[in-house]
Amino acid sequence: MEKLKDALDFSDFSKAERIGLIIFSVFLLVFPWLGTGSFAKTVMIQFLLFSLFGMGWNTIGGYGGQVELGKAQYVGIGAYTVALMMVWWKIPFWISMPAGILIAIGYSFAIGYPLFRLKGHYFAIATICTSLVLKDIFDNWSLVGAAKGVELPIHEHPDFVYMQFKSDTYYYFFIMALFYIGLFYMNWFRKSKLGYQLRMIKDDEDAAESLGIDIRWCKIKAYSIASAFVAVGGGFMAVYNLYIDPASTMELSLSIKIALMAMLGGAASLWGPIIGAAFLVPLDRFLGSWLGGQKGLTGIDFMIYAALIMIVSAYQPRGIWGIIEQFRKRGR
Amino acid sequence: MSFLTVENIVKDFGGLVANNNVSFTIEEGEIIGLIGPNGAGKTTLFNCIVGYHRPDSGKVTFRGKDITGMKPFATNREGIGRTFQIMKVTTGMTVLENVMVGAFCRTNDRNTARGKALEVLNDLALDGVKDYYINELPIAIQRKVGLARTLATKPVLLMLDEVASGLNPKEIEDVVELLRRLNNTKKITLFLIEHIMEMVMKVSQRVIVLDYGEKIAEGLPADIVRNENVIKAYLGEKYAQGL
Repeated sequence: MEKLKDALDFSDFSKAERIGLIIFSVFLLVFPWLGTGSFAKTVMIQFLLFSLFGMGWNTIGGYGGQVELGKAQYVGIGAYTVALMMVWWKIPFWISMPAGILIAIGYSFAIGYPLFRLKGHYFAIATICTSLVLKDIFDNWSLVGAAKGVELPIHEHPDFVYMQFKSDTYYYFFIMALFYIGLFYMNWFRKSKLGYQLRMIKDDEDAAESLGIDIRWCKIKAYSIASAFVAVGGGFMAVYNLYIDPASTMELSLSIKIALMAMLGGAASLWGPIIGAAFLVPLDRFLGSWLGGQKGLTGIDFMIYAALIMIVSAYQPRGIWGIIEQFRKRGR
Repeated sequence: MSFLTVENIVKDFGGLVANNNVSFTIEEGEIIGLIGPNGAGKTTLFNCIVGYHRPDSGKVTFRGKDITGMKPFATNREGIGRTFQIMKVTTGMTVLENVMVGAFCRTNDRNTARGKALEVLNDLALDGVKDYYINELPIAIQRKVGLARTLATKPVLLMLDEVASGLNPKEIEDVVELLRRLNNTKKITLFLIEHIMEMVMKVSQRVIVLDYGEKIAEGLPADIVRNENVIKAYLGEKYAQGL
């Protein structure tokens, strides 16, 4: 009960932030009736999905300050669990998605335990490696479709058991619900004991340890929470795209996009991942279709991402939200 | 049974022997000073007790329990609090949040932790700066914040690494008074590394002297300042003549 109250309590934010959240929520709610067409809806679904990924990353990467670049493997775990359980055993989404979360958590503990012996850059590299290894395994594992991937059966009528719809509007509201669950969870998380302890770890590990904090255990817990978030998004991707393969769910570029969105928007802030996704998802679409498609400059989007990472880390490590806060402080 | 027993601690950093066969005991409620020249191994000894270093050999017993080689978070849960000589100036958390992290050591509830933190801040007269970030505060206050967050973990043995360095005489006076009060009213045993002799003489009931990693003297402050080995290694002739 106390936790639920904390999750729904935004009273420690400024008035402007609360009003912003209300306007944003109203916009999300009426968006499908604004007559913006299917492309805009696709972009909005992507935006909500990546916000969810970013919020998850924010636990370990933002509050915990551990540069984590392997989130794509958990997208894959979530997506493959849902897809394979559906194709092999016709298991409903509402069972396969929680199963995907549990597998993701179990896997995150198993690799988090050795991984968090490492610090800083070594940790970042190790997370990339584990993700790539998993992708390679799935690329060559014929039982799970290897590089060809898995196709989900298409249902003609809206199906709430397998969560398969023809219209994007259903998916839109579904991912919106997941987005809000994520947002409320993160609102609780930032005020929780683990949230405080992670921020201390980020600030000063030695001091954190002297204050009775088991650093490694805290990091593992935050890492598994992040993995659970991402696995939920992965499960959604499976039923939304109706087709998954290792390249679309476990690619390194996906891991980097997840981390970059949260970092660009503002790590360790509740709004950061949302702002980052609002900025990067449309940019990603634009770069992909215009530069990659029409101009034939594939790969240039990565150069732009790399430049963004450098600008953010050099100019304002706390991202767009950090810049906004800086101006607000100056105004006072 | 002693409160804290340190037996034959040896810590060797690849040929540089930082602690060589150091043994001593501390009784409950005492205030013990640890002095010695720079590089004598004082901070290393602290780290061996608290768990940042694992001693090469030797044994540390705290309240009857063998804590040798335990991690710092575990020794903290046993009741040993430790402050740092240099406090990292961080920008991520306010003073109140810092102290709350300490209080979270003994509770899972945010409101309880907040209440406990406010209580400690109030006790140390820090409630006026609770919403500041540590980098916005002068060094004397930073030190106090470091002390406050350690106190919030409810230690029974408090190990202070140069808590008074860089402070002016007035501020040192305040710290001395504060330490005495913690010892008297909260019954916290104090073990402090200190360079400022004036302060060591004032607060310590017993003094341990390290030089080149070895314990060269132990005793009452008044005896220590007349000890020839200590004068030669640390205090210098001038200090002895000034007495």
